[in-house]
Amino acid sequence: MTTPVQKSLIGAMLASATALPAFAQDISWIYCGDKIDPVHEQYIAEWEAANEGWTVTPEVVGWAQCQDKATTLAVAGSPVAMAYVGSRTLKEFALNELIVPVPMSEEEQAEYYPNIVDTVTFQGTQWGVPIAFSTKALYWNKDIFEEAGLDPETPPETWEETIDFARQITENTDYAGYGLPAKTMDNTMHQFLHWVYTNNGQIIDADGNIVMDSPEVLAALQAYQDITPYSVEGATAYEQNEMRAIFLDGTVGMIQTSVGAAFLLEDTDIDWGVADLPLGPDAEGPGTLLITDSLAIFDGSGVEDKAIEFAKFITSPEVQEAYEAGGAASLTPLRPGRAVDDMLAAGPYWQPFIDGIEFGGPEPLFTDYRGFQNVMIEMVQSVVTGAAEPEEALSEAAAELEEYK
Amino acid sequence: MTQSRAAWYFAWALLAPAIIYVLVIVAWPLVETVRLSFTDASLRKTVNYVGWENYTRIFDRDFAEIILRTFSWTFFSVLLKMVIGMFGAVLLNCAVPGRNLFRILTMPPWIVPMAIGIFMWGWMYNGQFGMISGLLQRFGFVDGPVAFLAYGNTAYWATIVTDVWIGVPMVTIYFLAAIQAIPRDLYEAAWTDGASRWYRFRRITVPLMAPAIITMSMLSLIATFNSFDIIWILTQGGPSGSTTTMIIDTYQTAIGSKKYGQGAARAVVICIFLSLFCLAYFRMTRKLSRQEKV
Repeated sequence: MTTPVQKSLIGAMLASATALPAFAQDISWIYCGDKIDPVHEQYIAEWEAANEGWTVTPEVVGWAQCQDKATTLAVAGSPVAMAYVGSRTLKEFALNELIVPVPMSEEEQAEYYPNIVDTVTFQGTQWGVPIAFSTKALYWNKDIFEEAGLDPETPPETWEETIDFARQITENTDYAGYGLPAKTMDNTMHQFLHWVYTNNGQIIDADGNIVMDSPEVLAALQAYQDITPYSVEGATAYEQNEMRAIFLDGTVGMIQTSVGAAFLLEDTDIDWGVADLPLGPDAEGPGTLLITDSLAIFDGSGVEDKAIEFAKFITSPEVQEAYEAGGAASLTPLRPGRAVDDMLAAGPYWQPFIDGIEFGGPEPLFTDYRGFQNVMIEMVQSVVTGAAEPEEALSEAAAELEEYK
Repeated sequence: MTQSRAAWYFAWALLAPAIIYVLVIVAWPLVETVRLSFTDASLRKTVNYVGWENYTRIFDRDFAEIILRTFSWTFFSVLLKMVIGMFGAVLLNCAVPGRNLFRILTMPPWIVPMAIGIFMWGWMYNGQFGMISGLLQRFGFVDGPVAFLAYGNTAYWATIVTDVWIGVPMVTIYFLAAIQAIPRDLYEAAWTDGASRWYRFRRITVPLMAPAIITMSMLSLIATFNSFDIIWILTQGGPSGSTTTMIIDTYQTAIGSKKYGQGAARAVVICIFLSLFCLAYFRMTRKLSRQEKV
């Protein structure tokens, strides 16, 4: 027979045993990719050790489903605490109250390269913490340049030169002059935005007005039309990485792509160079589209504050430097610093990817990002295939964008 | 409890799993989709009923084009599958050496995982590395690379060819089984009377295969009308919407743009078309079975 004391003890033990899981709170994290980066694994363990009673549970989801999964869970009312998302979707999430703001102090903002914080800023506050960053530069094939009668050490610096060099390559060799991707894919729009941002153009202003129907953007679309005859045949069949494969095959003179191509080119016999993106007539300096991915904190998980704390920790300079130097080595660094100086010294090909940041622009933030993207792709494809003239395509697209801003 | 009541309970107990399955897997999502189609459901947390607005919005010029494209894409794809499938079945039925091997060789498009088969076609259509463009250049039919997925017309037909490639084995095997079920003595009698091969095919094979042809056409029609993977992997509906069919448009609206209400309305329209096809199929099979009894 048990005494009241024994009963009390058993009761206390049961109560404490059932209460234990409640003490350990979890930050669920949708992590895009094939596997967790070892750097993140290491720092998650470190953070958990420093925050007793808290765990971080990353769920690895393939890139294709990653964002849809986080969105669907949030809309269904069972959000994850944190997800890796394209910064372009932050406005859409914020306006629909799916995520919470992640304000940055002035000191935190000052750590980043210029314009990076703009990619996550909407209505004066930040809605995500940048974790991945990509810029583009121009690659050229020196052997093809030489065969075309061009100076292999001199890449084009302006759009005019780019189009002219592409023409000479097409006319004087068996190769295509330029690799223009225009498939029905998001990077068709990204590529076009590189041209927009190398001509001081803009799609939507800080007040949310569509300002795309401008001479700067029209010049970019006109340049697209002009370079198409000297590009790889059938631009609308290829996306950015497929165009990169053609460049790696040594059959196209120039492409615009990320630093990842430099790593792949090192394993080929191609004599290549990389330079700043060529500039349009209205450019103020080297530019590029600044694409960031961010950690967004979803509303309703119950651990928002701690998730923000963790997001800032996992993207803090020390962790981010290790991440960018390790498995995510094809990313452009988010912040300047000694690590970047060392990287530039070891690999001078990095320089153009840093140069473009100053005059670069963010992916425009729209309330319906996919609608915006479809309009931009349609505009580019209509010009590339000759279905529309640049002026007409631009005006039509600018009008359509009003629906999605 | 009487014996008949016990039998009644027992019957319902046996039916219950199937009924629950149908209610949960089919009926509830269908009802929910219809309900959603009358709302403005999107990423917003609030959902409002909007009456017929989603339906009136989708019947604009673009959607009418998409419906027409879906029907033409389905028509050509099913027609080609039937014609090639019939041709293949007749060939495989011939008494030639190694016939079993040929029968096995028709299967790979069906056996290979669909996504892999589609990626393979994607590479074959590639202008720079693709086999088709390479062969056309080698034999002098074209001067330079041809990117089949780059232009509206060629992309449209390229997706149909891939769909036909994947669908033909099933049609062929089904038709082969139907041909083998035709009594041999009919052919022997016709041959004795001096009927040509073509005459025998027209007057014996085709009429006796009519039920199989109709059944396969209808089943293929339903599957093809809803075909998503092929177009999505090859072109994502592009370039410039030239391969966007109703199912692609529905996906882009509901999942891509997160306009769940509008996407649901599109899905309901597809469902209505498919229900009509099913209705036609059941009526035809009923008619055929009545004819057989007569």
